[in-house]
Amino acid sequence: MKKKKVLSVFLATALIASTLAGCGAKSGETQSTDATGSNTDNTAAATEAPADASAEKVTLSVLAGQSTTDAGIEDMIDEALAKKYPNITLEWECVDWGNDFQPKMQQYMQSGLPDIMIGKAQDVKTYASQGILGAIDSTYTDRVLDAANTNVTIDGKVYGVVYNALYQGVYYNKDMFEENGWTIPKTQEDLQKIIDACKEKGITPFASHMADTWSIGNVTMQFAMNDVFNKTPDWGDQFRAGQSSFSDSKDFQTAYSYNKLIYDNTFKDTFSIEQTDCDSRIVSGEAAMKVSGSWSIQNFLDINPEFNFGIFPFPNQTGDSKLIFEPNITIMTNASSEYQDAINCVLDVLTGDKELAVEIYDYTKTAAMLKDVTPTFTNPSQEDIDAYAAKGQIVDVTLGNNQLVWGGFQEENAKDIAAWLQGDETFEQALKASDDRADASSAQ
Amino acid sequence: MSGRKKTNWNKTMFKQYFLLVLPGLVIFTIGLIVPMLMAVRYSLTSWDGMTKEKPFVGFENYLSLFQDSDFLNAWWFTLKFTIGNTIIQNILALLFAVALDKGIKAQKLYRTAFFVPCLISSVIVGFVWLRMFSNVLPAINEALGTNINFLLFGDGDTVLSGLLIANNWQWIGYWMLIYLAGLQSIPAELYEAARVDGAGAIRRFINVTIPMLAPAITICIVGITTGSLKVYDLLVASTKGGPGRASTSIIYQTYTTAINGRQYGYGSAMSVTLVIVLLLVALIQVKELKSREVQA
Amino acid sequence: MAFTRRKEKDESPKQPYTKSTFVVQIIMTILAALFLAPIFIVINYSFKTKKELYLNSPLSLPESFNFDNYKKAFDKLNMVTTFSNTLLYTVISVLILALLCGLTAWAIARCKHKFFKFCYIYFIVGILIPYQALFLPIYIIGFNLKLTNTGYGIIFMYIATTISFGVFLMTSFMSTVPLELEEAARIDGCSIIRTYFSVVFPLLKPAMATLIIMQSFQIWNDYLLASLYVSKKQLKTLTVAIQSLFSAQTSDYTTAMAAIVISVLPIAILFISLQKYFIKGMTVGAVKG
Repeated sequence: MKKKKVLSVFLATALIASTLAGCGAKSGETQSTDATGSNTDNTAAATEAPADASAEKVTLSVLAGQSTTDAGIEDMIDEALAKKYPNITLEWECVDWGNDFQPKMQQYMQSGLPDIMIGKAQDVKTYASQGILGAIDSTYTDRVLDAANTNVTIDGKVYGVVYNALYQGVYYNKDMFEENGWTIPKTQEDLQKIIDACKEKGITPFASHMADTWSIGNVTMQFAMNDVFNKTPDWGDQFRAGQSSFSDSKDFQTAYSYNKLIYDNTFKDTFSIEQTDCDSRIVSGEAAMKVSGSWSIQNFLDINPEFNFGIFPFPNQTGDSKLIFEPNITIMTNASSEYQDAINCVLDVLTGDKELAVEIYDYTKTAAMLKDVTPTFTNPSQEDIDAYAAKGQIVDVTLGNNQLVWGGFQEENAKDIAAWLQGDETFEQALKASDDRADASSAQ
Repeated sequence: MSGRKKTNWNKTMFKQYFLLVLPGLVIFTIGLIVPMLMAVRYSLTSWDGMTKEKPFVGFENYLSLFQDSDFLNAWWFTLKFTIGNTIIQNILALLFAVALDKGIKAQKLYRTAFFVPCLISSVIVGFVWLRMFSNVLPAINEALGTNINFLLFGDGDTVLSGLLIANNWQWIGYWMLIYLAGLQSIPAELYEAARVDGAGAIRRFINVTIPMLAPAITICIVGITTGSLKVYDLLVASTKGGPGRASTSIIYQTYTTAINGRQYGYGSAMSVTLVIVLLLVALIQVKELKSREVQA
Repeated sequence: MAFTRRKEKDESPKQPYTKSTFVVQIIMTILAALFLAPIFIVINYSFKTKKELYLNSPLSLPESFNFDNYKKAFDKLNMVTTFSNTLLYTVISVLILALLCGLTAWAIARCKHKFFKFCYIYFIVGILIPYQALFLPIYIIGFNLKLTNTGYGIIFMYIATTISFGVFLMTSFMSTVPLELEEAARIDGCSIIRTYFSVVFPLLKPAMATLIIMQSFQIWNDYLLASLYVSKKQLKTLTVAIQSLFSAQTSDYTTAMAAIVISVLPIAILFISLQKYFIKGMTVGAVKG
C-alpha cells in the first residue's frame, strides 16, 4: 500500500516525492538505492502530518554533541518516542560537544550526515552555510519561543529547533551576600567593594577553574557581550574588514583584562583544578562568586541540594550589563536524509511532548525554550533570572558566537589569555595573537 | 648449493614468495600509505575539511609554518618532552632492570608492579595523573603539613615535568622488561672472565653489560623517541595542551588546527613535517646505534 | 648463540643474597609501592560515593565497599556488548596479524631479491607514520571502501596500522630459525606454504606469542581508530564507551574510576597469566636487534 502511495506521488509530481510515504516508510532501503530522496526538500515532506504509527520500522541516526549536563537525556527521548512512534528507533552517537562534535561533523560531511544532529545554536550558522541542513517546518518552530528562533534563522528559514537555554553570569552565594549585607554590584566599583570585603573576611572572591581552558574562553565571551557587542553588534564583521582590532579596541581590551581581575582574586591553584572541584569549593563557602553558566547548577545541587545561589551579569564599564542566555540543545536535521517523515515524527515528540520536556529541563537544570513549558526543579537563581527578564535585560550570546566563532578562534584566544595570566606572554602579545587569527574568526 | 642453482631457485620461488607478501602489502598500503599520500596532497591545498573543492595553493602552507609561533612552540615542547623521556626512561628502565637482576627475592612480583601501568591506555593514564596532581598529592601535603608544589599541570613551567612523570610511570616498566630480557641473556661466563681479569663491578657494567645490551638499547632508544614525538593521547584527558599552550604537542596542534580551526590543508602540512622528522630521527638513530653495535 | 642462556627459573645463579641485595630489595619495594599507588588510588576512588568524594580527603578509605559505581559503570558502558566487541576485534585482528606478519617476514628473510628488501623498508616506514595525524584521510578511505561502521572495517584498520611493527619483529626473529630444516623440507618436495606451516611456523611460536600479546594490548586500548570507524552503539568498543563516560561524568568521576578498573582488569589478568611468554618473547627483539 505504501509502495502504491509512493508510486502515485512519484508519477504525479515526476520529481521528488520518494519520501512521502508516511512516517517511516523506507526502512529496508540503503542510502545508495535512493538517489531521488537526497534531493527532497523536507519542507514539502513535512506538510504530510506525522501519522501512520503502524508503519514499517525506521532507524534514524543521531549525532548528539552534548554538554556535560546533557548526558542521559537520550534515554528519556527514546522512551517518549517509543510511546508515540514505536516504529522509529534512534541510533545515538553521543559525543562531547566541545571536543568531538565538530570533528565528527567534518568526518560525516565526507560521507553523509546522520539524520539528526544535536548541537548548539551557534552550529546552525556554521553548517547551514554549507547547505547541508534541512529547514525546519513551522509546525515545530512555532512551538519554540520566538526569541530563540531568531539566531537560528537564515534567509527566512529556520534551521534548528532550540530546545533549552543556559543562563550565564556571575553565580553568587546568596546567603553569604545577605549575611554580609552585600548588594548586587552594578558597576565595576561596586564589584571591587565586594572583592575587598571578601578579602577582609578571608573569603576568596571568585571561584574559577582555569585548568579548563574553555572556561576562560567562556567568561571572556561573557565580558565581551556586555562591553563590546552590546555597543557594537557587528564588531566581528568590522574586525574582519580591518576596521577594528584587538590591539586597538579599548572595549575588547577591557573584556580581556577582566580575566586578570578574576585571576588576581581567585584560588591560587586555579590552573590545576577542574569544574567539579571549583564548584564544590563555592558550595562549601570558600568562595563568594563564580562567573559561569547554568551547567554549574547541576553540580551545585548535586553537592548540596540546599545551596542557595543567585545570578547577576558581570558588571561592565557603563554599568548596564545584561544577563546572558545561551540557546543550548539545538536540533538540526539532514537536508538529504531519506527519512524526512520519520525525522518530523521525532521533532514532533521533542517539541510536542511537554512531559518529556519538563523531565529534560529538570534533569539538565536548564531553562525551557518551548512555549508553555516550565521546569519544576528548584532553581534558587530563578527569581534573579525572572527579574532581569522582566526588565528586558537579557541578551543572546549566539550573537557574539556568530560574530567570532568558538572553534579555532575564541578557543585559541583563551589559550593566549591563559598564557598571559601565567606570565608566559605579554598582554600585547595575547592581543596580537587574536588579531593574527582573523581568518579563523568566522564560520564561512 | 652452488651459486647458479641458487639464482635459479630464487627466480622460480619469487612468485610464490611474492604471493605471501601480497595481502599484507595491500592492506598496509590501503590503510596507511594511501592516507599518508592523501595528507601530502591536502597539505598543498587550503581545504577547510568540509567543502567539496580543495583549492590548490602549492607550498604556501609550508612557508607559513615557519612564521607560525604556535607551530614552532608545539615543536619545541615535543622536542623537550622527547629528549626528557629518552634520557630518563632509558636510564631508569636500565637501573630498574639491573636492580631486579641482582637476585632479589620475588622478582616476578616487582616486574609485574612496574609493568602494570603500561597496560592502561594513555588516555586513562592522563586522567589518573590529573587527579593525582590536583587532588591526591595536595592532600598528602595537608596530611603531613608539608608544602611541596604538586600542582605540576597548573603552571607552564612545571607542566612538562608533570607529563614526564606520568609518561615515565606508564612506560618504565615496559622498557625495563626489555632490558631485563637483555640482561638475562648475557652469559655468566663473560662476567666470570671479566672478574678473573680483575674488573670491578662498575668496570664489568661498562665493559660487559652495556656492550652486550646494545641491541636492547637500540630498541629502547628508537622506541622511546618515536613514541614521544607522537605524544597525543596522554594530553587528551589531562592538560589538553595547557595551561595556555605550554603542553601542546605537534600532533595536538595539528589536530586543533585541522579540525577545530577548520584549516585541514594547513594541518596536513604540519603532520607531514612530523612524518619527515620521525623518519629522519629513526634513520639517524638506527644507523648511529647499529654502527656502535658492530664496533662493540 | 654459543653461550647458554640463563633459564627463567634460576634467575640468579651464583648471586648470593648479600647485604647489598637486601638494600636493593628495600629500595625496589619502595619504588614498587610508589608505582602501584596511583592504581590503589583509582581503586579507592571507585568505591567512594559522590558525597565522600567531595567531603572526605582523597586519601581516606571508602566508608564501605559499595559496588554502586561498578553497577553504574557496567550499565553505562553497555558492558556486555562493548566488552565482547572489543574482545572480538582484538582476537580476530591479532590472529590475522600473526598469520600475515609471519608469512611476510618469512618471505622477506628468505628471498634475497631486491623487491623484498624494498618491502622491508616500506613496512618499517609504517612504524613511523603517526596515524593519529591522518585520521581524516583514514576515514575517507574507509568510507569509500565501505569499511566504516563495520566490524571487519575496524579489524582491517587495526591490521594496517600494526602490521609494520609485526613485520619488523618477525623479520628480526627469522634469523634464529635454522635454514637446514626448510631446505630439507623443500628437497622433499614440500610447497612453500606447506614448508612454512609444517617447518617454520612451529619455530616461530615464541615470537608469535610476543606479537599477539603486544598488539592485543595496543588494540584493546585503542581509542582513535575505534572512534572513527565504529560509531554504532552495538559496534562500540570499551575505550570509546569509557571516553564518553569521562566527558559525561566530570562531576562524578567515581563512576569513571570504576569503569577504568573494569576495562583494565581483563588485560591485567591476561598479562599476569601469560607473563612468561611475554618476557620470553621480548627477549627476541632485545637480543637479536
